[in-house]
Amino acid sequence: MASERTVVATPQVAGGKRRQGRWRRAGVIALRGALALVLVVSALLSLTPQGRSAVRAALLLPALVTATEPAPLLLAGDPIRHTQSTIPSQDGPVYLDIYAPTSPTPAVPGAREGLLLIPGVGDNRGVAQLVNLAQSLARSGVVAMAMTTDTLMSYELAPPTVDAVVAATLALQRYPGVGRDHVGIIGFSAGGSLGALAAADPRIRDTLAFVLSFGGYYDATSMLRDLGHRALDVDGKLVPWQPDPVPVQTMAITLGQVLSESDRTILASGFNIVNGVELSPADQARLSPAGQAAYHLVTGDEPAQVNANLAALPPEAQTLLASLSPRSVIAQLRAPIYLLHDRSDIYVPFTESRDFAAALTREGHPHKFVEFTIFQHVEVKSGLGIGPLLRDGWSLYQVLLAALAPAA
Amino acid sequence: MLALSLIWLALGALLGAAATWGRLTPPRWESRRWLALPVLGAGAALLGGWLSALLLDHLFATLVAIWLCVASLGAARLLAGRSAKVGA
Repeated sequence: MASERTVVATPQVAGGKRRQGRWRRAGVIALRGALALVLVVSALLSLTPQGRSAVRAALLLPALVTATEPAPLLLAGDPIRHTQSTIPSQDGPVYLDIYAPTSPTPAVPGAREGLLLIPGVGDNRGVAQLVNLAQSLARSGVVAMAMTTDTLMSYELAPPTVDAVVAATLALQRYPGVGRDHVGIIGFSAGGSLGALAAADPRIRDTLAFVLSFGGYYDATSMLRDLGHRALDVDGKLVPWQPDPVPVQTMAITLGQVLSESDRTILASGFNIVNGVELSPADQARLSPAGQAAYHLVTGDEPAQVNANLAALPPEAQTLLASLSPRSVIAQLRAPIYLLHDRSDIYVPFTESRDFAAALTREGHPHKFVEFTIFQHVEVKSGLGIGPLLRDGWSLYQVLLAALAPAA
Repeated sequence: MLALSLIWLALGALLGAAATWGRLTPPRWESRRWLALPVLGAGAALLGGWLSALLLDHLFATLVAIWLCVASLGAARLLAGRSAKVGA
């Protein structure tokens, strides 16, 4: 006779099965909850303007701090094309490098954002970080237009260049698919100051979405004073400041517009990449009094005579410096202003952006001011710790969010 | 676009499999439980991605693929559940 085996459900076995059942149910509920969360988050990020700005800003942030395009943008972004064109202005031809998506304009929001990039003095058209940024912007659906002129490429700042910026902005506003009031200006270094000056022009003043000045100056006279002192006034204390040769040379060339031909030639003969400008005592003696004043100001070799040297410049110099300063047009600005500046900037004193922000506050003008520690002027420093990167990265992200709002 | 399409298909199938584990398969589809939702999810994700690439920016196509996929899986459960009740 075969024996029968009977399984008896002991309390331990029954309890174990109940626990298993509970875990399984909890797992099912958690999975359903996760799917619901995925649905809500992805819908919010793709359907709301704030969500789309957040996604764009997050994808573009790496492009601002590295010289490579982020992989997600390369994979998921729009295909783009790069074209070049030239438009006329009071400053002569304006050279435009346009990076634009090739896909049709999206039905939502119905128009693309356009960003005019002003890279400052020198020929920066081939600079990897600029090209990378423009390409990344285009892949994210924004039309990016970089501009320069012969004047800027000659390391000179001149009032007609402001007209060139306005002309480029108008061209971008007319670009197919770009919304007229979806255009903003991003200026690097002196480009930020030129952008602020252009923003006061009646032709674009009321339609410009914003101006972002990264490492720009507010008052050319105060910047010349800082060069002359080789020190910055930080919260009432003079802090030593050693500028890069580029702003020294740029200021020398710019002041040359109001000096004699002879002075200009002598100053130009002393240009070098170490100090910016350096002349022998014999060459200094050949300069006119105005030329000598300009020389001592840009080289900073008479810090105790700064005011006297400023007073010795021709009256046209004061007019020139004022016309190159956003300070002179602050009451005419309408667009929101974003000011970014690194505290260790050796090209343009960070105190310039502080002064700009303070003036905007007094005017009650919408603006945002961020001081960084991770940049040298407008390029990210190497060998940074994770703390400063995260801190400044978060501040940069918030500015990007605001700047990319028109694109959403 | 080919790479993106493949990504959308894979994402959709993965979400469909997750929905299957989450016991969201409509009762009528129980016989093909491990195929039904992954296939539906993959199809919905692909459709969502392409629609978004046409109407929105390319950049958001993957996000649209994801939420359209999850919404389709939920809708299938709701609609099939409702018709099962009506037929009962």
